[in-house]
Amino acid sequence: MIAFDFAYFRPETLKEANETYKQLIIAGKLPLYYGGGTEIISMARAGSIRFDAVIDIKSIPECNTLCVENNQLIIGSAVTLTKIAESGCFPLLGKTVSRIADHTIQDKITIGGNIAGSIIYREAALPLMITNSKVKIIKKNKLHELPLLEIFDGNLHLQNGELIVQFLIDTNYLNLSYCHVKKTKLDKIDYPLITLAAIKTDNGINAAVSGLADKPFLLPVKILNEQDVPEAVRADKTVGAIQNNIIGDLIIAGKEYRMFVLKNVLVQMFENFKEAQYAGI
Amino acid sequence: MGYIIGQNIIRKEAFNKVTGTAKYTDDFIATGIYHADLLVSPYAHAKIISIDISAAASAKGVKKIITGNDINVLCGPLIDDKPPLAKEKVRYHGEPVVMVVADCEQNAKAAVAKIKVNFQPLPVVNSVSDALKENAVLIHENLQQYKKNVSDVYPETGSNVCGHVKIRKGDLQKGWQESELTIESNFTLPQSDHAAMETRAAQCQIMPNGRVIVCSSTQAPFSVKEQINKTFQVPIEDIDVNVLFVGGGFGGKAAVQLEILAYIAAKAVDGHTVKIASSREKDMITTPCKIGLEAKIKIGAKKNGKIIVAEMHYNVDCGGYADIAPRIAKAIAVDCAGPYNIENISCDALSVYTNHPVATSFRGFGHTSLSFCIERMMDKLGAALNIDPIEIRMINALTEGCYSPTQVKVTLSNTGNFGECLNKLKTLINWHEGQRIVESNHLIRAKGVGCFVKTSDSPTNAISGVLLTFNSDGSINLNCGAVEIGPGMKTTAAQILAEKLKMDIGRIQVKMEVDTQTSPVHWKTVASMTTYMVGRAVISAAEDLIRQLLNGAATILRCTPEDLEIAEEKIFLKTDQKIYLTFKDIVHGFQYQNGNSIVGQIMGRGNFIMNQLSYLDKETGEGKAGPYWTPGAQAVEIEYDTIQHTYRILKAATVVDAGKVLNPKTVKGILMGGMCMGLGLGTSESFIYDAEGIVQNTSFRTYKMMRYGETPDYLIDYVETPQLDAPYGSRGLAEHGIIGIPAALANAISLAAGIDVTKLPITPEQIWQQKEGVRQ
Repeated sequence: MIAFDFAYFRPETLKEANETYKQLIIAGKLPLYYGGGTEIISMARAGSIRFDAVIDIKSIPECNTLCVENNQLIIGSAVTLTKIAESGCFPLLGKTVSRIADHTIQDKITIGGNIAGSIIYREAALPLMITNSKVKIIKKNKLHELPLLEIFDGNLHLQNGELIVQFLIDTNYLNLSYCHVKKTKLDKIDYPLITLAAIKTDNGINAAVSGLADKPFLLPVKILNEQDVPEAVRADKTVGAIQNNIIGDLIIAGKEYRMFVLKNVLVQMFENFKEAQYAGI
Repeated sequence: MGYIIGQNIIRKEAFNKVTGTAKYTDDFIATGIYHADLLVSPYAHAKIISIDISAAASAKGVKKIITGNDINVLCGPLIDDKPPLAKEKVRYHGEPVVMVVADCEQNAKAAVAKIKVNFQPLPVVNSVSDALKENAVLIHENLQQYKKNVSDVYPETGSNVCGHVKIRKGDLQKGWQESELTIESNFTLPQSDHAAMETRAAQCQIMPNGRVIVCSSTQAPFSVKEQINKTFQVPIEDIDVNVLFVGGGFGGKAAVQLEILAYIAAKAVDGHTVKIASSREKDMITTPCKIGLEAKIKIGAKKNGKIIVAEMHYNVDCGGYADIAPRIAKAIAVDCAGPYNIENISCDALSVYTNHPVATSFRGFGHTSLSFCIERMMDKLGAALNIDPIEIRMINALTEGCYSPTQVKVTLSNTGNFGECLNKLKTLINWHEGQRIVESNHLIRAKGVGCFVKTSDSPTNAISGVLLTFNSDGSINLNCGAVEIGPGMKTTAAQILAEKLKMDIGRIQVKMEVDTQTSPVHWKTVASMTTYMVGRAVISAAEDLIRQLLNGAATILRCTPEDLEIAEEKIFLKTDQKIYLTFKDIVHGFQYQNGNSIVGQIMGRGNFIMNQLSYLDKETGEGKAGPYWTPGAQAVEIEYDTIQHTYRILKAATVVDAGKVLNPKTVKGILMGGMCMGLGLGTSESFIYDAEGIVQNTSFRTYKMMRYGETPDYLIDYVETPQLDAPYGSRGLAEHGIIGIPAALANAISLAAGIDVTKLPITPEQIWQQKEGVRQ
């Protein structure tokens, strides 16, 4: 149980949400925007966060959008992982989010929540990081559209009161050949040892990984795409280039092993893209 | 063929459970009761310098705050070594330090957050080997002053050893002289959690007339009663323990802890009802877990594969307090050789204090740990001599006429037919196709074997009882003291009664709840002994009923009891089945046409007490620990990726000598559940400690268990060698599915990857480390 009292708000509009946030701050309260609640509830239960109010954004229409408009896929921040996966709108994203936690939890976790959360993996961000995605955020009661990577470097950098409303992805990216590999300590359902999401554009491979460091990050494009270098060597060079970022921990795996697994994952990725090419995908 | 034995019977509470209607201890929400919550130790070993409760004491809804200094008792089932709330120092991460009683759970929790405890960290004993080092930090400085509750437990003064069991069989020196080959290995197994679906909960009320009413999710209501009596000198007749359904125990709910705290809490608030329920996180580390083990095994054998001698050291990690660990060490010693005949044995099984969470009984009661060691040794021996793993086991199999490590003579009835289990396993797991099969895509398919034999290690005077009453329509109520913890034992009791009386099991109602005031005493619902003990009591009660029914009917029908027979709720003349009385006619008294009545209410009483069991000799271990053994042979088939060093479990197989399978689908379910748990221990389940002994994985986010979708194909078969003194020949097997599985998995992986697995759980990272020779 959560051993402290807090207020629950469920605004119907962005304006109302913003206003509620403002009023709570003026009243000296600490509010949190609330999506699926999986992280807020478990952290509050454990006593590791405290707040005075939650503002549930699930009734705000803009936050629930899932559609294509003007050659952009628009995904509201309160759309659940299950909904994204089942819609088939963005195969790489669908595949990535359907390997986060388990099915029951995927019905609750929202894409905005996964990316804004404090759990370091934020796997839902990976496909967005490599597809020049944009975000619409609400800031001082106004909507702003900007590149995701301007406010997200693996950690989300928003000011208090700001909220991601939507993610926007150019439809040209949606059906490129892609690769998703998730490696865990052992079980299918677990935090990642490594999750890799990659796409192949005309300019080459873009890839991002989660699990290796304390936040997701992009793999060096230049090394991945060195045309005259054999793939196995590129994999080694990539591992070498990022090895200082790699962490080890007691629960999931040591650093050396993570490097070994990354190498295998990269080899598998190159292999996948090659097969896709042969298959004409 | 039996009347109902051997048929699939749906458990009597099935519909209540699958519809969510069945109630468990913490399901009852009563207004007006108080709630207790615990502040637990963030350190594994630390002095308590000061406790500041001032802010908490004035917090909303707080009724009482209790610290170790408020309670002047020590408790424990074998050795009184544990203060219910830590006093002066804490000995494990998660140990209860302060208890807050408040008017609701929320206020209790909020107040706990306001308590400030000043700890001074002490050096941490973070493994069994640390604890056994010379000049090791002592976890209990005054071990010799503790009161022992049993005579046959032997703590060693000035050490961290709280129990030592010795087995000395045959002539070691001669054994080593005759040996042509020696194999030696060390093994390390971690502590882990029971992870029952229902987290533990207890509540207590003390009535104005002194009656203490406890409701608890326990496997051992009668032990709760005894421990409250012993610890607080409450007259035993004043204590009443009630148990509803228990949502899985696996041994973890045989330990008494929350009940003691609930009593202390209730006592502190003038007897008001207080509930204490563990969160999942506390259920993992504050309440007891599974033992860890460090072992060193050395065997000597002939070149033909026959093991001549074994020297074994099993050191049990019992955590900060002894609880029942010395008994687990005893169980390990008793079956230290596994299902194999070894003429010359020296075995020392120690229970060792560490600064880890307290360990208690866990499904398999030490046998999963010992089997891991012995079964790895068997594969190593087979490999060294180039003898097939099943063949090497067959060569050494325990057979009729052999003597167990504690020198009990083996018979087909008391130990079943292990060799036949091995034979059937070969077919079940398709052994002839090969044990290590190289496939395409860098994959290797491999099979490993793990076997077991297990007895009960109950007290030598463990008892059970059954009371039978009739309803006016001739249907029967069955009341026994065993708790329904999941395996459907109450239904099994009804099935045995239905068989004995040749009647419809639907006409037998079983009291699901246990109330120590009205239920006959049943030792504990543990040790795979329930069918045996309760079943024997059921048969004895049924015989009592039959005698009364026959005598009564004989008078009424004007014949001798010998002329009559019972079936389908009728008592009829053997010579003319048309002359009969129904149960309904007689069980509440028979009335003649003129109103005269005779016979009266018929009630059946049945009891059981262990016989022929004895204490083990302190120096040699000679003695009889349990009434019978159940043997079995298991295998696991895996697919190993030689590039990534990952693996997948394809199949798990069990052949057990069940004596007689009473209820096939239930038995299958129980064995599958055990196998699944065994795979959990093999692949992922373990507590991970940091250098300070702090458990790192106290939630299911990080404490990984087998998920339903990850389970392999389960293959199950039986040998049925009747156990002559058991109900319809049936051997206990409730725990056994787990025992050989981690070993079988380790053997499969060792073979597939060409490594030597000596630790659990087996992660791809560990395989990689061994393969690549990386220093850990």
